Amino acid sequence: MTVRRKAKIGFYALTSCYGCQLQFAMIDELVQALENIGIECWFMLDRNSDENAEVDIAFIEGSISTEEEVELVKKIREKAKIVVAVGSCAVHGGVQSWSNDKDLEELWKTVYGDGKVKFKPRMAEPVENYIKVDYKLYGCPPEKKDFLYALGTFLVGSWPEDIDYPVCVECRLKGNPCVLIEKGEPCLGPLTVAGCDARCPSYGIACIGCRGAVKEVAWFDSLAREFKKKGLKKEEILQRMRIFNAHNPKLEEMINKVFEEGE
Amino acid sequence: MYIPITVDHIARVEGKGGIEIVASDEGVKEVKLNIIEGPRFFEAITLGKKLDEALAIYPRICSFCSAAHKLTAIEAAEKAVGFTPREEIQTIRDLVYIGDMIESHALHLYLLVLPDYLGYSNPLAMVDKYKKEIEYAMKLKNIGAKIMDVIGSRAIHQENAVLGGFGKLPTKAQFEELKKELKEALPVAEYTVELFSKFEQYAEVEDREMVHMAVKPRNGVYGIFGDYIKVSDGFEFPVEDYKKWIVERVVEHSFAKHSFYREKPFMVGAISRVVNNADLLYGKARELYGKYKELLRYDNCFANNFAQALELVYFVERAIDEIDEILAKWPIKPRDEVEIKDGRGVSITEAPRGLVAYTIEVKDGRVAYADIITPTAMNLAIMERHVRMMAEKHYQDDPERLKYLTEMTVRAYDPCISCSVHIVRL
Repeated sequence: MTVRRKAKIGFYALTSCYGCQLQFAMIDELVQALENIGIECWFMLDRNSDENAEVDIAFIEGSISTEEEVELVKKIREKAKIVVAVGSCAVHGGVQSWSNDKDLEELWKTVYGDGKVKFKPRMAEPVENYIKVDYKLYGCPPEKKDFLYALGTFLVGSWPEDIDYPVCVECRLKGNPCVLIEKGEPCLGPLTVAGCDARCPSYGIACIGCRGAVKEVAWFDSLAREFKKKGLKKEEILQRMRIFNAHNPKLEEMINKVFEEGE
Repeated sequence: MYIPITVDHIARVEGKGGIEIVASDEGVKEVKLNIIEGPRFFEAITLGKKLDEALAIYPRICSFCSAAHKLTAIEAAEKAVGFTPREEIQTIRDLVYIGDMIESHALHLYLLVLPDYLGYSNPLAMVDKYKKEIEYAMKLKNIGAKIMDVIGSRAIHQENAVLGGFGKLPTKAQFEELKKELKEALPVAEYTVELFSKFEQYAEVEDREMVHMAVKPRNGVYGIFGDYIKVSDGFEFPVEDYKKWIVERVVEHSFAKHSFYREKPFMVGAISRVVNNADLLYGKARELYGKYKELLRYDNCFANNFAQALELVYFVERAIDEIDEILAKWPIKPRDEVEIKDGRGVSITEAPRGLVAYTIEVKDGRVAYADIITPTAMNLAIMERHVRMMAEKHYQDDPERLKYLTEMTVRAYDPCISCSVHIVRL
């Protein structure tokens, strides 16, 4: 798909922390990019935002967490040529999906007690569950370079590549000591999409998987086997991998398999 | 006939909220701040989870104050398990927090508030005529972000701040570089004070009954961490008692609860800190406070914008001093071992937009209870009152003007709407 020279863009928020938009707003090059893009809808920065405007590129941040948001994403899909799901909430349902093994009523009661509000809440879901998503920016939040790469590539009429290798690749290149093997901590680097330059392991901190599992080849099972050897229980492994992968259909099945293998 | 005037989605704030005003010729019948951001159930989803994992998730409540959430949650958790961080670790945490303060204030003042005063719908459109202001905004938010990035691992959602300290600390040279850039940012911060001193603080919302709450700073200088809360009526209470003094209620037009002190709304934020702790300011900020005292009014929420500008100067200077303190103790061990015992801890700190309260109870290494009240949740009730006051003066004006003025009132509070939503057990 070729995008016109001055591309119309929209940045829309569902339920989230607004960190993806904040990251986008903090890109210094954004001011220069304005020569090539026109902002039709971006409530966080612009009072003259129109949710109904036709756009070339729609960036959507946040999970679908209310009935109203289901309608909103359908509308965005109709008005947009390219839909980009931005960040772990839009792509994977976000950390708010961490406990989607509990039911909504139970969560509601824990936080709001018997209080009632007039809007309709839902369990958090990724945008893709309701509309076709053309491209995804991973991360909580995505890196600035993720935005620039995708936007720049769209603007020249090309298509950005997906990232299909894990954080470990970048971590090894940086020459970091291995958090998993040398420090023995439950690092999720081996199954998490790269692109962050191994931010956390570079600080000696175990990856929590904020960019989500590498699709198609999510090695939940082989990493779980490694964690199991280190003495982690099934529930501990599952909960850690669920933080950013709660909607991954393979997760539970693969972990179960590892624990059915016996000692 | 009553005519509803609504702003479905308030622009240039963090999160999704709307204003609903129902008025007729006889006056304003109803004013509501609709908070329509979906719920995320942070207290519920972290229940039963491992403490370190829960601590990585709490800051996701809000990107504009992720460091505030992270460091407050860590302090509550460390108190719960009976661990006290070394003084130098506390100073480095304070510095990261200041990074958040600088970045958040710069974004709020220049990108969210300034367009209203200069007559623009968005800050990017200002770039041709107000290039200097945009450059200044970038400079300030960049130094704030850089502090969080270099020490915390990134500007949004810092993973390097953990129980017991940090995974790894930046080098001495990196701290020195931060100091150099902070020094360069100081005149920019001072310019911000001059700039915002010229802007109107609307008399329509003057409220003599305003009550302000702020942390009583722990180490005797104006700041972020403390063990007591000061109220502008002269009352003080230990942070552990916050559930007794900050009472929440569910309201049906909002996914966020409203908070009350002695049955009345109250305010938190930069102006509340200045009202309660101005005597603890020092350096350039103290001079500027003397010069502009009459603009730092306790009875007008618009003073919050100016108070943030003053704080930019203060926190830039304070950050420079903290880097000196850190370098004087160099080399610093990044982390101490923390033994995870059972217990309950409370921490309240000063997020950029006001008090943020955390209670965390730990049992067998897991979160057994969590309670969080965010600054915007505390401010919602009083914000609604002031939007109403504004609407009562202008309900007969052109609806566009009414919308503009009521939105500005909301913006003065620098609300974080995604933050406010999810709030707290009954």
